[in-house]
Amino acid sequence: MSGPVAFVLWVLLAYLVIVNGVYLLLHMLAVRTVREKVTLRPLEGLPPVQTALVPPVTVVVAARDDAEHVVDRVRAALALDYPQFEVVVVNDGSRDATLEHLREAFALEAFPEVYWRRVPVKPVRTIYHSRLHRNLRVVDKERGGTADAINAGVNTSRYPLFIALDPRWTLRRDGLRTLVEPFVDDPATLAACTTLRIDPDGTAALESGPAELPRSLFSRLQIVEHLREPLFVRLGWARLNAALAVSGSAILFRKDAVVESMGFRGDMLVEEMELVTRMHKLWRAKGERYVVAVVSDPICWARPAATLGELRANRMRWQVGLAQAMAANSELFGVRHGGVVRWLAYPFLSWLERFGPAVEVLGLVLLTAMFLLKLLPGLAFVAFLALLFALGFLVSMSALVLEDASFRLYPRWGQSARLAIAAVVENLGYRQLVAFWRFDALLRWWQTRR
Amino acid sequence: MGLLLLAAIAVLGALRRWRRRRMEAIENRWRNALSQAAEDPRGAALPTIGTWDLPHFLEAWNRMLESADEQTAERLGTLLGLHGIDERALRMLRKRSARLRLAAITAAGHLREPRAWDDLERLSQHGGPIVSFAAARALLRIDPRRALDVLSHSIPARDDWPLARLASVFETLGPSVVTNPLITMLLRRPRPGLDRVVKLARFGQPEKISSIVRGWLGSSTDPDVLMAALACIEDRADLPWALGAADHPEWRVRMSAARALGKVGNREELPALLQLLRDPVWWVRYHAAHGLIRLEGLEPHEIEAMREGARDSFAADMLGQALAERRWA
Repeated sequence: MSGPVAFVLWVLLAYLVIVNGVYLLLHMLAVRTVREKVTLRPLEGLPPVQTALVPPVTVVVAARDDAEHVVDRVRAALALDYPQFEVVVVNDGSRDATLEHLREAFALEAFPEVYWRRVPVKPVRTIYHSRLHRNLRVVDKERGGTADAINAGVNTSRYPLFIALDPRWTLRRDGLRTLVEPFVDDPATLAACTTLRIDPDGTAALESGPAELPRSLFSRLQIVEHLREPLFVRLGWARLNAALAVSGSAILFRKDAVVESMGFRGDMLVEEMELVTRMHKLWRAKGERYVVAVVSDPICWARPAATLGELRANRMRWQVGLAQAMAANSELFGVRHGGVVRWLAYPFLSWLERFGPAVEVLGLVLLTAMFLLKLLPGLAFVAFLALLFALGFLVSMSALVLEDASFRLYPRWGQSARLAIAAVVENLGYRQLVAFWRFDALLRWWQTRR
Repeated sequence: MGLLLLAAIAVLGALRRWRRRRMEAIENRWRNALSQAAEDPRGAALPTIGTWDLPHFLEAWNRMLESADEQTAERLGTLLGLHGIDERALRMLRKRSARLRLAAITAAGHLREPRAWDDLERLSQHGGPIVSFAAARALLRIDPRRALDVLSHSIPARDDWPLARLASVFETLGPSVVTNPLITMLLRRPRPGLDRVVKLARFGQPEKISSIVRGWLGSSTDPDVLMAALACIEDRADLPWALGAADHPEWRVRMSAARALGKVGNREELPALLQLLRDPVWWVRYHAAHGLIRLEGLEPHEIEAMREGARDSFAADMLGQALAERRWA
């Protein structure tokens, strides 16, 4: 092998070992969280929380041109099971009948409420109160985007915690009770994130207990992917209080912390990921103790992507969101008291996760080209592919073992076997395809940035 | 390696299923025995509990005790005594495993076992957040008054004991038990931790607690202390303190002052509330507006006139909101 060929091979090898090694390390850290959970299961909810001392929650529903679904979304929010909460619906300058439908369904009337503009947002036109539900208000504002709408919800909120619901996922009806526990148990908690689970037919979100596996292999591949990365990798980072790249699922925030951080940024594709990263940066810089918790219980569910196009859009969105969040908070790498966030989580996410797809795709293309040009011996090429497969399989299987030992959402033999098959198949094209999409997203982000 | 993990899943899964089936069978027998014991502990046929099964049995027993009435709890306790399980649970308190300890701690609490006192006291002082809190809860079950005495320093200081859960324990114990220890803690004014005690104070006898807390009005400038004291104002005699607090640099104190003025004030307090209505902080203005509406002797048309004549638009708007909220209530 010539010098340049060996160099490419070594770079790829180092990348694969580091990335998968960190994943395995994070899975091992997640084991501790899972073990604690199993140990404490007999004491779960004991003694019960005294509802008078549980912090009340504002549920923000941002709606834009959503006349068809908005009433159902608000009804679902009002049906949440929690001791004290209010629902703030923000109509983000809809051009359809969103506001009219809301007005009619909930008997809204304009109310002379004094608006407190703590976070800058587009002008608010009117605030409505509902004659039917004392805990429902609707804010009608000029069009400004999702982040702007959520910020308007934060400004209108009367309670110390808030959550912005998203139509892409469903929070279990009693999910807020679980999600608030980190705040009850530790007042230094700034945000509590859920981990998204895949629900093939929309029934798992209704109740706790074992779930059904989807019939299609395509959906099962997404389940394995979700178990490996968002769930156990996130739990591992949370163990180090370094969960930065949280997105795509329910997050309960402490409102004063969000206001102090100046709210969500409208120029971010995944605004919650950027905000959580920024909160880490600000609180690390202040040197104050804080917690960004990850709740492992399966309380937040989403349907799997039904088509390749939908999956591609999801993965590209995540990749651009990650790139934006990391680029926007690059000071995190130099922040004082940065600890594990500065020295491990940020570099890993900023360099390896952000640019990893480029290394994977370009590396694979280069190696294949070198093999075809007979610059790389066949044995070395096959050995490399085998290693790529083995490491990917190892991390996926480790996630399945963890799931099997902890939450047992898929307890039956057949379910374990089908997930194990998905873990094998995942490495034969699915992961490479996702890496290619992420690489594509990275290129687009880079071009837009320039 | 991946294949090894695959094999591990298969083996672990098989083991777990076998254990689950075995435990289900055993638990069925336990359940029958526990149901019999709830009626007659001496007639219950409890199978021998092996060392491995003991924590599991205690967890099942603890679960049953959480919802049992006094008489059933006593009978189920007798059952443990008859089979020597109480002794074994006591020995488990010194085990290293958190699971064993937690099962034993909870059982000792349910049994109201005085022999466990020293171990529980040690665990409540030196254990991690979960073990120490479980031990504190067990102590409070065994002898609430003595436990509150022992824990009177930990309750304010240990912010890793979830306040909302501690509050539910206080609520269960009842005002007659918790009032005096709460007074002791309040008089000590622990820093940090006073805010925790103040929040728990709502579970004591209000007439005794509020006189203590009101007594702080003239003796502290600490915002947390002042806020707690202002919340207890029931009498016009204390109004000078509320008027003094209306100028406090901390907005939460000014907000509490606005509430207190609205609660016991009358026309004479109108200037102070009007001043608070122009406060830069939204919440202070909000409570000042509501306080103003509550003022004794002030007619609605006078408030409406005040709103219309207000030169400060923030104050006028807030008064308008408060009036509308009152109409909607």
